Amino acid sequence: MAREEAALEAAYGLVRQLIAEKMKYLVPMTILFMGSYIGLTVLAGFARDFVGTRMIGSVNLGFFLIALNYLLSWILAISYGFIAADKFDVLAASAATEVSRAEATR
Amino acid sequence: MNPTLGIFIVILLITLAITYWAAKRTSTTADFYAADSRLTPAQNGFALAGDWCSAAAFLGFTGLTALYGMDGAFYALGPLVAFCTVLFLIAEPMRNTGKYTLGDIIRSRMQTRPSLLAAIAGTVVVNFAYLMPQMAGAGVLVRLLTGISYDWAVVFVGVSMIVYVAFGGMLATTWVQIVKAVLMLSAGAAIMAMILAQVHFNPLTLFADVEQKYTAKYLLPGNYLKNPFDQISLGLGYTLGLAGLPHVMTRFYTVPDAKAARRSVVWVMFLAGSFFAGTTLFGLAAADFVGQDAVRAADKGGNLALPLLAQYLGGGKGTLGGDLMLGFVAAVAVATILAVVSALTLSTSGAIAHDFYVNWFKHGQVEGRKEVWLARMTAVVIGVLAIALGILAQGVNVAVLVILAICVAASANFPVLILSLFWRRFNTGGVVGGMAVGLVSSVALAMIGPAMRGADALWPLVNPTVVSLPLGFLGAVLGTLIWGRDLKNEQRFDAFLLQVHTGITLK
Repeated sequence: MAREEAALEAAYGLVRQLIAEKMKYLVPMTILFMGSYIGLTVLAGFARDFVGTRMIGSVNLGFFLIALNYLLSWILAISYGFIAADKFDVLAASAATEVSRAEATR
Repeated sequence: MNPTLGIFIVILLITLAITYWAAKRTSTTADFYAADSRLTPAQNGFALAGDWCSAAAFLGFTGLTALYGMDGAFYALGPLVAFCTVLFLIAEPMRNTGKYTLGDIIRSRMQTRPSLLAAIAGTVVVNFAYLMPQMAGAGVLVRLLTGISYDWAVVFVGVSMIVYVAFGGMLATTWVQIVKAVLMLSAGAAIMAMILAQVHFNPLTLFADVEQKYTAKYLLPGNYLKNPFDQISLGLGYTLGLAGLPHVMTRFYTVPDAKAARRSVVWVMFLAGSFFAGTTLFGLAAADFVGQDAVRAADKGGNLALPLLAQYLGGGKGTLGGDLMLGFVAAVAVATILAVVSALTLSTSGAIAHDFYVNWFKHGQVEGRKEVWLARMTAVVIGVLAIALGILAQGVNVAVLVILAICVAASANFPVLILSLFWRRFNTGGVVGGMAVGLVSSVALAMIGPAMRGADALWPLVNPTVVSLPLGFLGAVLGTLIWGRDLKNEQRFDAFLLQVHTGITLK
């Protein structure tokens, strides 16, 4: 019983570690996409002339930033895939091992 | 024969064949609600693209860009960015925690009856608010494209969706969505190639042309969303509302594990995202080639901009190429509606048959075979109700309902879902409080806003998300504090977190 609880505690500890690891990546990534997208809607709402600054030919800053937001979303999606496979899945797998140890000692 | 009708009948026959095939493979509850969780990430990615791109996306974004310039491009960008939220915070925990519905997650976290009831209310309100305008849109669109009357068009769409869902469950719904996504993306790719050929592979020409025709103001924001706060509401509604839309989120139950759920989000972001980006160019091309006057003459809201553009690119009105392109795009638009209404019917049936009847009313004591039968019957009843509502909605301004659906999803479902997954002290009082405040504030503010009351609006915003979303969170937090500590629930939270992040349920 004691060993079971210790193994479970270890699994919970690994989950806490996993959550901390997720926070480390997801907080900045979320700030990045929310900031750039909501920031763009704020600009579009309150700084319409600035958004209309011409960039290339008739394409203005707004369309430029919209294109940048598309790129950013795609880059973040791909990066998340790699980070999750590299970091999160490993911790999740060790937590799973601890749980099966806890269940085996039952 | 009218080419639209011909192409559409072919699509219909394909979907019926799929339903026949799927019906033979649908016998358990897991089959019916989640296609036995055996789809691949790519299949689910295509299905998500088919599910998420409603007619409002397929026809609306192009039309908005054609008539209002940059605001249309904002409408198209939001639904892609929304998937970042889903990818980072929702998709994997959903897959790990629930079985068939959003209610499942709340139930496994709180294990109380009032919280389940609140989750059911959130799902049913969002789904019906989404379903009704889709049915009304289907009526208008099918009438416009094939010439049959509005009422018959609604009946036809309703009966098709009932057949798909009641017989083929999630498997048929999924493959209808996949077929529709493939058709939609092929139509998009063909139109894109033809536009690029027209402008000699220099899209900048389009910007220069429309600027010359419609002045530089056309390329500025604010032509459609006049109130700056509406601009922000739209952004918030999309980025946080998608995560609260039950009919899209339940798609994550159709894959085997969290990794597959993750990969399917990356798929949909590239598939649907490229289509959304395409609609901005389609809109500019429609304004340039077809002209705003012709677009407006065909439909005041600009919804026929894409079919008209396709007709122009195919060779123009009266030519074989033009008629075929128009027919193809129009048929895909109808298929789009079918794919979305089927998903809504299935997800509502999950909330009523699985969450409400089986888990709430019968405390989970229903035999598997009977549950499948109940789910099928519920789908039929919901379908009939949707047909009735669709017919009643003729001529009513249903635009407010679309806004309402996404606003309630963002203001009620999203706060409750996210706090359930991440906050230890969150409790039944919080679920009920968040759901109630989010729901009531969204509905009340949308009803007194300009979308419903026009010039008599008591409040300036069409889309109230910017206010109702913080209110929903406030309701959830206050509800939690007023309810008091639920120590058993807090102790269970470690085991719940284990499940959320690894998919393991302790025996």
